[in-house]
Amino acid sequence: MFELDKLLQAIYFWLGRIFNSLGLPNYLLELLSMILVALLIMAFSSLTVIFLVWWERKVSGHIQSRFGPMRTGWHGWLQTIIDAIKLITKEDITPTDVDRVVFFLAPIILFTSALMAYIAIPFGKGLIVKDLNIGILYILAITTFTIIGILSAGWSSNNKYALLGGFRSAAQIISYEVPLTLSILGVVLLAGSLSMLTIVNTQKGIMHWFIWKQPLGFLIYLTAAIAEVNRTPFDIPEAEQELVAGFNVEYSGMKFAMFFFAEYMNTFLVCAIATTLFLGGWNGPILPSYLWFFIKTFFLVFCLMWIKWTYPRLRVDQLMSFAWKFLLPLAFLNLIITALLIYIL
Amino acid sequence: MIIIKRTVSGIWNLVLGLIVTLKYLFKPAITLQYPTERWAMPERSRGMVSLLTDKDAKKLRCTACSLCVKICPNNAILMTPKKDEQGKRVPDTFVVDIGMCIYCGLCQEVCPFNAIRLVPKYEFSVYDKKSLSFDKEKLSEIGRDYQ
Repeated sequence: MFELDKLLQAIYFWLGRIFNSLGLPNYLLELLSMILVALLIMAFSSLTVIFLVWWERKVSGHIQSRFGPMRTGWHGWLQTIIDAIKLITKEDITPTDVDRVVFFLAPIILFTSALMAYIAIPFGKGLIVKDLNIGILYILAITTFTIIGILSAGWSSNNKYALLGGFRSAAQIISYEVPLTLSILGVVLLAGSLSMLTIVNTQKGIMHWFIWKQPLGFLIYLTAAIAEVNRTPFDIPEAEQELVAGFNVEYSGMKFAMFFFAEYMNTFLVCAIATTLFLGGWNGPILPSYLWFFIKTFFLVFCLMWIKWTYPRLRVDQLMSFAWKFLLPLAFLNLIITALLIYIL
Repeated sequence: MIIIKRTVSGIWNLVLGLIVTLKYLFKPAITLQYPTERWAMPERSRGMVSLLTDKDAKKLRCTACSLCVKICPNNAILMTPKKDEQGKRVPDTFVVDIGMCIYCGLCQEVCPFNAIRLVPKYEFSVYDKKSLSFDKEKLSEIGRDYQ
């Protein structure tokens, strides 16, 4: 079937020949290809976010017996694009008493951390920007920057609701980082590697997917991942009824759009990681590898939306006790059993 | 033991919730897309005020008795009578301020000649409050299809 890696290689060699004929040094080629790849990932993530926002509105609408957006284009598919244009053209307001530097940097930190994690995601056969030998560790480390972004947004806004949202978010993300990492460790033990490519390559064939060997780990990962990206059963950092909008109350225009972007990019990211770790990544018959990856990832994103529009929000204390008293012992149990079984068998 | 039982039943109830929302996801939406789709209004619903025309005589049934003017709780109706060429009383001006009307239907009930009626039309948004005062021609135009 038609794979994209050959095409990208061809483009790279073609660029290299042009550079050689012009007599330009090799590091310029490397730089250019890096910039191109970054632009590619940026464009890809923007398109994904635009689609996901529309899709979320449609799913939420139909779950509540509504239609969702219907007027702009076929079933409202242009709605998010028009919203994005509106947000870009809006005035960029900085309130009077905010900490200007931090206020400006917070959405950038959040957006960059979400974007940087895309580097180590294998989108298909040969479609990985850089196969790091510590790939999953790198992603876990990079996504932790999200806390800094959210906390600095809450702090710099000089608003009690934003600050409460930031604090809640810091507490929540740090708490759920622990069971998340522990549930990933089970997969790492089974694959024997931290590299994303090796993890995908050990899951050839549907029977070798790690979800069959790590069902509990998968559920723990999914639960913790929902909390990591602040989606609804765990969305106390931006609980509308309590905190207006949480950490991004004071933001408007393009900065607000960047928060929104980062949120949906993170949603896609956790689903992509779950696909890679538990659902066999891009392995699959007949269809091209990247299509399999997207089918699995978008199915998981749909599950997240489904969960979001089904369950009510947890209270803060319930959230904390759920993380520390339920998920963490379960994750430890999962890890110990996995390790013992690997040692015995 | 009871903790395990409660945990299992809690997880089962979470699954039940997911099944309910999945069912609703594939049910058709109940939203009515208003400007392109419309409700079929009940025949006797009270909407716009209209003056009815007699089919045989081809003129308004109103005899300018001013009972509707007197009973109107909001003074929404303004009417001045005149005599036509046969010497019968007919309304000279008949203005209903729809902005004042509360659609109580008392004018319809009190009318001895079935000349005024609230018909099931409900769309009359305008940009200017003054254009909500409907005169005799407009009111008979609204009631043209009704008897």
